[in-house]
Amino acid sequence: MSLATTLALRGFTLFCVLLVVLLLVVITLGATGFSDRMLQATISEEMRGLRQSLAQTIRDPDQLEQVLHSRHQQLIDYYHLDKPWYFRLPNTVSQVLTLDLGEARTMRSFKGSSRVADIVMERLPNTILLVTTAMLITAVIGLLAGVRLATRAGSRADRVVSFFLASSYALPAWWVGIFLILIFSFKFALFPSGGMYSLPPPQEGMARLLDLLRHAALPIITLVLVSFGVWTYVVRTMVLNTAQEPFVSVARAKGLPEPLVRRRYILRVAAPPILTNLTLGLAGSIGGAILTETVFNWPGMGRLYYDAIMAADESIIIALTFIFTLVYIIARFILEVSYIILDPRIRYV
Amino acid sequence: MRPQEAIRVLLSSGPGKAGIIFFLALAAVSLYAIVAYPLDFGLRFWNNPAIWADNPRNAPPAWSNTFTHLRRVEHTTFRATEPAAVIPGAGVETRLYTFDLDYRFEESPAFTSFSLRHLTYYSRPPLITLSLARPDGREMLLYRHAVRGPDPGESPPVSRYVEAPLRVYLSGDDTVLWNIADFLGREFEMELPLSQLRGMVDEIAFGIPGGDGQGFRVLPGDYTITVAVKVYHPQDSISEVVFVLGGSVYGLMGTDTLGRDLAVGLLFGFPIALFIGLVTALLATTMGTLMGILSGYQGGKTDIFIQRFCDVLGNIPLLPILIFLIFVLGQKLMLVILILAAFGWPGLTILIRSMVLQLRSGQLVEATRALGASPWRIMLRHIFFQIAPFVLAQMIFFTPAAILAEAGLSFLGLGDPSIPTWGQILEFGFRTGAVYAGYWWWVLPPGLLIVLTAMTFVLLTLGMEPVVNPRLRS
Repeated sequence: MSLATTLALRGFTLFCVLLVVLLLVVITLGATGFSDRMLQATISEEMRGLRQSLAQTIRDPDQLEQVLHSRHQQLIDYYHLDKPWYFRLPNTVSQVLTLDLGEARTMRSFKGSSRVADIVMERLPNTILLVTTAMLITAVIGLLAGVRLATRAGSRADRVVSFFLASSYALPAWWVGIFLILIFSFKFALFPSGGMYSLPPPQEGMARLLDLLRHAALPIITLVLVSFGVWTYVVRTMVLNTAQEPFVSVARAKGLPEPLVRRRYILRVAAPPILTNLTLGLAGSIGGAILTETVFNWPGMGRLYYDAIMAADESIIIALTFIFTLVYIIARFILEVSYIILDPRIRYV
Repeated sequence: MRPQEAIRVLLSSGPGKAGIIFFLALAAVSLYAIVAYPLDFGLRFWNNPAIWADNPRNAPPAWSNTFTHLRRVEHTTFRATEPAAVIPGAGVETRLYTFDLDYRFEESPAFTSFSLRHLTYYSRPPLITLSLARPDGREMLLYRHAVRGPDPGESPPVSRYVEAPLRVYLSGDDTVLWNIADFLGREFEMELPLSQLRGMVDEIAFGIPGGDGQGFRVLPGDYTITVAVKVYHPQDSISEVVFVLGGSVYGLMGTDTLGRDLAVGLLFGFPIALFIGLVTALLATTMGTLMGILSGYQGGKTDIFIQRFCDVLGNIPLLPILIFLIFVLGQKLMLVILILAAFGWPGLTILIRSMVLQLRSGQLVEATRALGASPWRIMLRHIFFQIAPFVLAQMIFFTPAAILAEAGLSFLGLGDPSIPTWGQILEFGFRTGAVYAGYWWWVLPPGLLIVLTAMTFVLLTLGMEPVVNPRLRS
């Protein structure tokens, strides 16, 4: 397969994922009568506003009722509420795709807007900031520690450490977060227990950055703690597998210096399978991010999920489910592309 | 490999041994919880405020006294259904319910309450008195109550306190205040206005004057609480007498902000966590194995279809879709399990398929096919049995993932309200600010139990590795 077909195929699969999630969302909403209720709520909201404004101009109650009734019919017609939900399917899909989900029930964006799109998009950068920083730190630690462990493979230390790394899979992010808050925030008062900036936030550039760092420290440590174990374990295993290949022995036999062997003969070859393994863990880290943000009251999309559940704000939950899938798919695609860059076997066929 | 042999290999590794021990412990505790509590525990007990009404709120566990400077009062409930002694008399009989209390604390109780349930009398209404024998030899009458006589039209036997028990908070009752004032005047020659006595009842009952003219200090020692019921007919009956010493530390695991005993909630979480993990893992591995064998053995269009389907399904980020579905479809535990299983099987299918592909081209399968065995027979007897240890290992591996996913969902406030899980206990603590108030006994144990349960299965998975992969056997 050529490079283009490979990319296109992966891209297509990922697009299918998005499509399936979208369909799952709108079909569930339709089949359970949820979308009917949402549309009815929108209509009655509009009718209430209309009644108030019309009551100023139309004095005759009968005439008012008549006008309102015809407007009601128009709205039902406009939203296709008179037809079964599956006729509205394409319409709903496009609504979700464009985040045209109307107004949130009670939630507001930081600037005060109640449009779902505003609320969600405002928080997207905060989530991306938190997750990418944590992932970068995890990657660096994982690579360094994994390679180091692989050179001591089979030793007692390696076995003990590997065991702990593998079992860190059992650590829930939210519990680690709570644990860190109890210790570092309450016992030692080193870090704030939540939020993104102090109140009031410092305005000056440098102070603001430091404030942000102080607030981000615990959530980032949490995310790194729960994911670096698996990273390190994967790197160690893959490096170990490659180090046993004949070409590595040949390189050593040629008398190449060890750092060069490690860098160019082992790590370079082990890179694609490491990446594959980590791609598979991406979905998990999205879940971890949602829970970590919730614990630390980080104003990102994960915390928004929690707030929306507490406020029973369905349009926000729908929007978030879609955006999270989208973010995941974009991240996956970036990883697929970097895989192709890393693995020459795909490029040169 | 035979099952006995597999277990031997499993037991020969450190993690395997630890995993088995932990698992047996979990199973034993779960079994106890199921036997000891009804299955509708969540609705009947956990979410029923009446049961926890007497308990202190946000009380740390009793053993935390070991670490604090001050020995705090341990919350204790005394119950009696039968009198300890009966003093007969002419036409009257006094039934004594006595409770011995070894008071070794350095503070006064938060409250003391007395309650009595379902009293029936046949002639005259009984007379109830509550008194306290103190370690300094002083006797203290606290409370006297005459049961209400028959209403017009009511004829014996008369039942009282059937639906709502007679419940008296000693510090809030005026007769108690009079008695206390009396006691102070008689024994210590102290005159205190009633308004000042209000709120000091427990301090005085379990203390002596501080000596500096004001205030009381705690008097430790052996107390005896006596509830005397004077009845006028031998058939009169009382179903339960309860005396509560309101403490600030409680039981094994403390209480939450509703006064619920966390030890009980955590205990009931054991069978539920195992149920969630094992059922989800069973469903997902069954589905994954079936599809994997089918895909690998049949090949062709079936294979392509199943593999593409798995590609898509396995790539859906789980938590967001789980949140959405549970939010829309309702917070039911079975639904959570089904969704977790429905999105959990594709990964296994891809793995099984690659194993089946190898087996299918092997000589064993070729020979059986030549002998005329049907595809179903081959798939079951000659393929499934060969990959069975691997399937079992995958099932164990999947179990903690399901437990963690449910806990995460519960933590976001989407747990099944009728079934308390560890995740929900933690979520309630988080939502009501227990984390920020430093109530460690409330937020740490549920998470620790989740970690422990998940760890058990991780250990088992590690122990299973030599069973699945013969090259690792030493």
